[in-house]
Amino acid sequence: MERRQALKNIFGLSLAAAVTPLPSLANLALPDNDLLKLNAKLFEKALLKDANLQGFVGLKHNLAPQTLSIEGSLPKDFRGTFYRNGPAIHQRQGQRYLHLFEGDGMIQQFSFTAQGVSHQAKFVNTAKFAQEQKADKFLFSGPDSKLSESLPITGPDSINTANTNVLPVNGELWALWEAGSATAIDANTLETKGLVELGKNTKYGNSLKGLAFSAHPKVDPDGTIWNFGSTTTGDIVLYHLNSKGITQKVNLLKTGYRGGMLHDFLVTHKHLLIILPSLVKSKTKNVFFGAIDFDKNLPMRVLVVDKQTLTLQREYELDSGFAFHFGNAWEDEQGTIRFDASLYPNIDTLYYMSDVMQGKTSHPTPAKTTFFTLQKDGKTSQYALDGISEFPRIYDHLTGLKNQLLVTLSSIESDVWSDAVRVINTHSGKQDTFIYGSDFLVEEHVIVDNTQKEGNGYLVGTALHVPSKRTCVNIFKANRVSDGPICRAWLPHVIPLGFHGNFVTA
Amino acid sequence: MNLLKLSALTLSLLSVPVSAQTVQFDIQSIKHNQGKLYVQIFKGEQDYKQGKAYNATIVKAKQGNITVTFNDLEKGDYAIRYFHDENDNGDMNTNLFGLPVEGYGFSNNAKVSFGPPSYQEMSFQVAEQPVKTHSTVNY
Repeated sequence: MERRQALKNIFGLSLAAAVTPLPSLANLALPDNDLLKLNAKLFEKALLKDANLQGFVGLKHNLAPQTLSIEGSLPKDFRGTFYRNGPAIHQRQGQRYLHLFEGDGMIQQFSFTAQGVSHQAKFVNTAKFAQEQKADKFLFSGPDSKLSESLPITGPDSINTANTNVLPVNGELWALWEAGSATAIDANTLETKGLVELGKNTKYGNSLKGLAFSAHPKVDPDGTIWNFGSTTTGDIVLYHLNSKGITQKVNLLKTGYRGGMLHDFLVTHKHLLIILPSLVKSKTKNVFFGAIDFDKNLPMRVLVVDKQTLTLQREYELDSGFAFHFGNAWEDEQGTIRFDASLYPNIDTLYYMSDVMQGKTSHPTPAKTTFFTLQKDGKTSQYALDGISEFPRIYDHLTGLKNQLLVTLSSIESDVWSDAVRVINTHSGKQDTFIYGSDFLVEEHVIVDNTQKEGNGYLVGTALHVPSKRTCVNIFKANRVSDGPICRAWLPHVIPLGFHGNFVTA
Repeated sequence: MNLLKLSALTLSLLSVPVSAQTVQFDIQSIKHNQGKLYVQIFKGEQDYKQGKAYNATIVKAKQGNITVTFNDLEKGDYAIRYFHDENDNGDMNTNLFGLPVEGYGFSNNAKVSFGPPSYQEMSFQVAEQPVKTHSTVNY
């Protein structure tokens, strides 16, 4: 290339391009160190009065392997490892993050063997975490928490906390965060290997470096991995990976979505469903999560994308709504698509996760399991099930296929966090529920089944017992959830409340 | 090629000001020897925003530090930006979202924070004395 032309081209891109993944954050100039310190003081004061807040205190160091005490009997066919991920450090040197989503991720590993149940946990040793741990203070501004002297943030991976989900891929784990790259972890030792380079040894090369790879990939029954990554520009990248985690195809979808945050999506056996909630992100507010507003006049959009070409096939508009999480989608021979969502009528729950960081337990409107039908002629319908719903899961072998059972958390007595788990028969509407009660803060429960038959196998999930300040892991028979856990293993202490995980069978 | 831009650049190189001055720019923490560094200096915010470089140079990459010197600069405020063309294809490579995937930086070691620094953060005055400024490459 001719020299002057090259120089012109380089900066024709003008490094303004660097802002595109999080453009609205470019205006966030106001340092709020005092706000972070105030947040810590408010939280510490509230913690003295509200024991429920112990789930949001966080940790400073890894947790060494230990054997857990067991109540009940560990089933002989329950062998493997349950991995969970979640933000686990919220505070350093008297500064406390302003939003629950900002803390660095920690992988919890529960191992179930003939010898019993053991546990260890390690922080994901991201570049950000390693530097801050060494300095023993926050060095980087976050989406909402601004430091007066942040180190350079050249892109999302500068502040990648890898704190949302953990997915087994080809013998290793991928710690996931929705705004940046996946982080590879050793499944046995939990040592961090580094960022996953999705373009490596593919025709895409560096063009995939640092792209968002959301925290909710969907895995087909044959192991094929699908995912998306979004930015506030409305561009959404779509990924097709094989079962080994090798990129097969990537495409960019220009959606015009201005909500700022997109958390989950769905697949059928033919399509990806990109479901854009009724959110609008303000460009003037100097926070990220707090700048996202619900717009009741904005329809929720469903983009139906062909799996083969990763291109848009058709689009539906639904009533306004917001969902962090979806359970499953499937379509029949006529092309009618059905899916479920834990659907909120607004975005107050996102703000709740900011409130709780300063020790306030507000009362956002909860989500309900809502079933949607999308006909090929454009007609749509929806109905909601009674009861509060979050963290939906299905049997893995039915991802994208017709499912009958749906597992969700629920809240019956508590309005702090979930306090119950249930199995919903989506055909009959019957619910099989176990109420832990308001003494527990209950986390996602996943299905463990080797038979590929709905109703078989177990549920496993963690819960924080508030009065005794301990976390337990619980095993239920999937077809008898209301009987309560058949086995419960106790940690001698609390671990921070987290988000998502998966079970790897031995 | 933009002829106007070329003319402006050529003129600036030909007309040496009476009280010409020197700017020494140290680029630090270059990762490796592959590729080249493309460096541009701008005079004034307006020209910077329009991408009209006052002068520019290309130097071979070298692991560690490199010093680039711009001579014969007239009085005024200036800013420098550069990138490390690691794969030597003459372009600043970006990912699908437009984010650079090769190293880059700015004068005054101006920080990148969710986007490029402002002109004010990277600009410096050229007057009676030679100027020294530096930047650590953002990879």
